[in-house]
Amino acid sequence: MEKFSLNCLELQEYQPNRYPFLMIDHVDEVMPGEYATGHKNLTLNEWYFPVHFPDGPNMPGALQLEALAQMLTVAITTLPGLKGKVTHALQHTVRFKREVLPGERLDIHTEVLSWKRGICKGKGTASVNGEVACEADMTITIPEILEEYLPKVKA
Amino acid sequence: MPNKEKYDQVFIESFSLPADAAVAKLAYQSITEWDSVGHMGLIANLEEAFDIMMDMEDIIDFSDYKTGIETLKKYQIKI
Repeated sequence: MEKFSLNCLELQEYQPNRYPFLMIDHVDEVMPGEYATGHKNLTLNEWYFPVHFPDGPNMPGALQLEALAQMLTVAITTLPGLKGKVTHALQHTVRFKREVLPGERLDIHTEVLSWKRGICKGKGTASVNGEVACEADMTITIPEILEEYLPKVKA
Repeated sequence: MPNKEKYDQVFIESFSLPADAAVAKLAYQSITEWDSVGHMGLIANLEEAFDIMMDMEDIIDFSDYKTGIETLKKYQIKI
């Protein structure tokens, strides 16, 4: 497979989240099944800044993690036959290292560690100006595929 | 390590059970740890432990400890 990029419209074909929960703006480079890298530009107009917090706006950690998970999703849903599939989070471990502020660009890099039977294990790093903002180990699933492999429960 | 011991150990480690857990009574969804994700972890750990690659239908049929013993016979693994 070959690597490619996705603009803000194209990436929505591979990522089912929409405003106000789409946390990535651009996929600079994706190698399906291997990695996805891109960014999210943060302006003071982001919906969460007025409330998080009124006197000190910064991007909620949960949404930074969501940005990582959405980018990892793109690394999987760009594989043949998976375009537009919905993914769910199974388990994430995240470490936060700095605040992400209005006007900054969150650079997001994710890598697929394994992809098997509907479960993807991966890791990601989000940074601002080369400074790490958060890192995460993530496990996501495409339920539609996972369910094909499960035993049938007897009634 | 004998196959029986190895087989039991995979259950114990996959589901984080005590070493003396009654694994022979386990079935899919009989404990909270053996859920959909736990099932995939169990299968992956069995494949690694016995160096096999299970077919989709065998993964679906692997619904309890005893059935698993029969399934592994297909892969020349005698428990």
